[in-house]
Amino acid sequence: MSIKMTRRKFLQTTSLAAASIPLAKVVSAETGFAPNKFTAPGSVVGTETVTGGVCEMCFWRCNLVGKVRDKMLVKLEGNPKSIDNGSAICARGNAGVKLLYDPDRLKYPMKNIGERGNPKWKRITWEEALDECATKLKAVETKYGAHGIAMFPHGASAKYPMEYLENVIGTHNVSEASFFQCRGLRDTGYMATFGTPPGENVDMPNAKVIFLVGDHLGENVHVSHLKRYLKGLENGAKLVVLDPRYSASAAKSDIWVQIKPGTDTAFMLAVMNYLLEKNKYDKKFVGEHCVGFEKFKKGISHASLDWAAGICDVPEKQIREVAELLAANAPNVSVHPGRHVSWHGNDFQRMRAQGCLTALLGAIGVPGGFVKPKGVKVKGIGWPKGEHGGDHNLRVMANKYHYSPPGTPTDLIREACITGKPYPIKGCVIWGQNPMQTIPNQQKTIDALKQMDFVMCVDVMPTDITMYADILLPEACYLERYDYIKTGTQWNFADPHQQFISPRMPLVDAMFERKDEIWITNELATRMGYGDKIPVKSQEEKVDKELATVNLSIEQIKKEDGIHIQPGKDPYGVADDFEVLLYNEDLEDNGYPGIPTYVAVEEIPTGFARLVYGRSPVHTFNRSQNNVWLNYEMPVNPVWVNDEVANKLGLKDGDEVSLVNSEGVVSSATSIIKSTPGIRKDTIYIAHGYGSKNPMMTAGVNKGIDDQELITKLAVDPETGCHGMRNNFVKIVKNGKTLDISA
Amino acid sequence: MMKDDGENSMVDVYRFLAQAMRYPTPDWFTDQYFSVLLSLLSELQLNVEKDELRKAQKESFDFIEDIQVEHTRLFINAVPHVIAPPYASVHYKGDGTFYGSRIAEATKKFYREKGFSLVKEDDLPDHIVYELEFLALLTQEDEKGEREFLDKFFIPWFSIFMKKVTREAHHPYYRVVMKLIDFFTREGL
Repeated sequence: MSIKMTRRKFLQTTSLAAASIPLAKVVSAETGFAPNKFTAPGSVVGTETVTGGVCEMCFWRCNLVGKVRDKMLVKLEGNPKSIDNGSAICARGNAGVKLLYDPDRLKYPMKNIGERGNPKWKRITWEEALDECATKLKAVETKYGAHGIAMFPHGASAKYPMEYLENVIGTHNVSEASFFQCRGLRDTGYMATFGTPPGENVDMPNAKVIFLVGDHLGENVHVSHLKRYLKGLENGAKLVVLDPRYSASAAKSDIWVQIKPGTDTAFMLAVMNYLLEKNKYDKKFVGEHCVGFEKFKKGISHASLDWAAGICDVPEKQIREVAELLAANAPNVSVHPGRHVSWHGNDFQRMRAQGCLTALLGAIGVPGGFVKPKGVKVKGIGWPKGEHGGDHNLRVMANKYHYSPPGTPTDLIREACITGKPYPIKGCVIWGQNPMQTIPNQQKTIDALKQMDFVMCVDVMPTDITMYADILLPEACYLERYDYIKTGTQWNFADPHQQFISPRMPLVDAMFERKDEIWITNELATRMGYGDKIPVKSQEEKVDKELATVNLSIEQIKKEDGIHIQPGKDPYGVADDFEVLLYNEDLEDNGYPGIPTYVAVEEIPTGFARLVYGRSPVHTFNRSQNNVWLNYEMPVNPVWVNDEVANKLGLKDGDEVSLVNSEGVVSSATSIIKSTPGIRKDTIYIAHGYGSKNPMMTAGVNKGIDDQELITKLAVDPETGCHGMRNNFVKIVKNGKTLDISA
Repeated sequence: MMKDDGENSMVDVYRFLAQAMRYPTPDWFTDQYFSVLLSLLSELQLNVEKDELRKAQKESFDFIEDIQVEHTRLFINAVPHVIAPPYASVHYKGDGTFYGSRIAEATKKFYREKGFSLVKEDDLPDHIVYELEFLALLTQEDEKGEREFLDKFFIPWFSIFMKKVTREAHHPYYRVVMKLIDFFTREGL
């Protein structure tokens, strides 16, 4: 119904004027304004440069400066003082502004008064939220023990609460996707070979050959990482790429090995066997640093070029060509350890193979080889470690996964949740991770969450998993808080040696009621009766205390424009006691192969193709899918399909399709076809991190296909418990019709 | 703290409307507040809307919680996604994000040029509650400024915002509030 009078008339003639409707009586006297001196029209507020930013649009964490005008972040740039990323940042780094000001971001604590998975949110106060979280978690701890609580953390801000749960409360049931669905097995595979996790520490700028196993640098963008890679190519390094797809790296390669997915270990065994047979390995290095050479040599003697060619579906001469190229340029070879390596459930062995190949080439501690930077060690300040014993450690109880990364393999936690065996897990803390899109088999994750007594989530965005929270807490993002202290060296070891220390400092104040992890965790700890264990009262205190261990302070760092730089050390050379376990006896004692071994992957069923996934240069997994700038750049993840296959199926570029896997799961959303000769006929590729199902993500919801939704067949790496996620097979669905793929 | 009684003016009207858009909490969303709101609707002859609100209250198990859920869903975060963040820059001349246009900055600048600044800066200056409170400040002493603010800053985005809220609201409360704000800001002074 419309109002049939004007405001003026209404005020003059109605009883409103006489205060018979007492508006003033029900209106708070408080106002959001204060008188201020008049600012002359036309006055301009200047833009200031705020230093001390450390990016978190991905885990590479570039140094930032913010252009801030009137308390509003206008633009992000690389910190010109940085000896890591310098003044450059990537598309995602630039788009951090849009994360900061995303209207979908979490703003206030909220309570779910609906169901898990189908939430009905109500804003509540921090007091209410913290009281409820603490009461419910304490109840679980009291009834089921510390091990009745599980945690799924991710990112720099999750470390402090994770340590609280592990060290103070005493649960082992913590599972980081960055380990169990990503790089954990790389670290433990290399540790079982070199005794140290490798990071991405290959000296690419000074290499003569760069050898990439599935890495698609260029689509996988980390600024200083790319600078090293591109400097190497600029300096003339030859590039070898093993990839079923013509990736951005394959496009720059000298040799593209269009390998059958899952067979990379066989390829490397054949290369190593060839090097041994032809006496083209580094005998001096092997003699001085390698253990178990004879057993190793014998153990891989079956790996002929012919054997590998059949398995890998590549020409024998190409394997020889690669081996010869590596030998001719040894030891200045970067055998890149990779980053996301949890592919097929046989991956620990591949990591071992990469480490052994590096050693046979003598490519350790030399220009171009595996070289660890010599950075500064800043001592962390954290929760005191209590004595909790290992009685309820699921991995120990299962006597499996002896080379597991830190924490507990995800599936052991999830199975315990679902079955209640060996004990119930009834409380869950999810901090910055989106297990719906990081852990395969989403239904199991849902089942695990639905049986909980309590679920709390802390995040900056309403990701898929937050729909399963009882209490959802808004966290300050990386542009609004102190936390992580980034350290490192100059990116190119050929330059004068320098070290840097750069704590993350806020570029702008946190808006709404967003809080940082120290405040949230301390408040929880106090309410749960652990206030006496609190190690620091604030983010600033933590960072300041940590900086004090290297004789620095926040005040000093601010004076130095966000980055302290000091003389560094020569990273080259190998310690006399550095050992490479070509044959690892402990592995064998635990029932695993002591020598790198190829374990065949399941063959592709007729009519299907293997689904593989990778990185988009403008997205960081699912974390950036709601960013309007990045969404605009690449709104969906095209489905790469071989052009001959596409032609046979009547598919052309841009056709809208969905995918169905061999277990009948159809992707909820669709994407578009990219028909290309640059992919094997038996393989389909999409970029990871698309197709969110959470309608709270206005920009990202249902955009593109979520690969994780289709990864329902689980492969678990026997040594580590990490997931292999490239063992699922798909067909293409167009206009409701499922198309058989005949390779 | 509530004000003492006295004659109503546009100051009170704007303040009343601003409060109506705050997150409903028991300290102000009282029976008395609701009764005043219903009286106001009577005076405006919005009897259908008044009946709708009364019905919603009568049928509700927890009336304030219903409105809290609705406020959260419409203006903060919810499923299906936040409907209408109550900020000018999200709706007008931008890309749908906070500070997505220059409106928020320009609004803040206008406040300053009229001799006011925000007490706290933990929210954006173009939030509807701030804008209505600012109109309450202007209407007393600067009628020209009030008109200028309404025409340049408030009405262009509010009309878009109102359509979204009216279309998507599940609860009658915010549809009614939209109608009231529209009447007191759009109609001739």
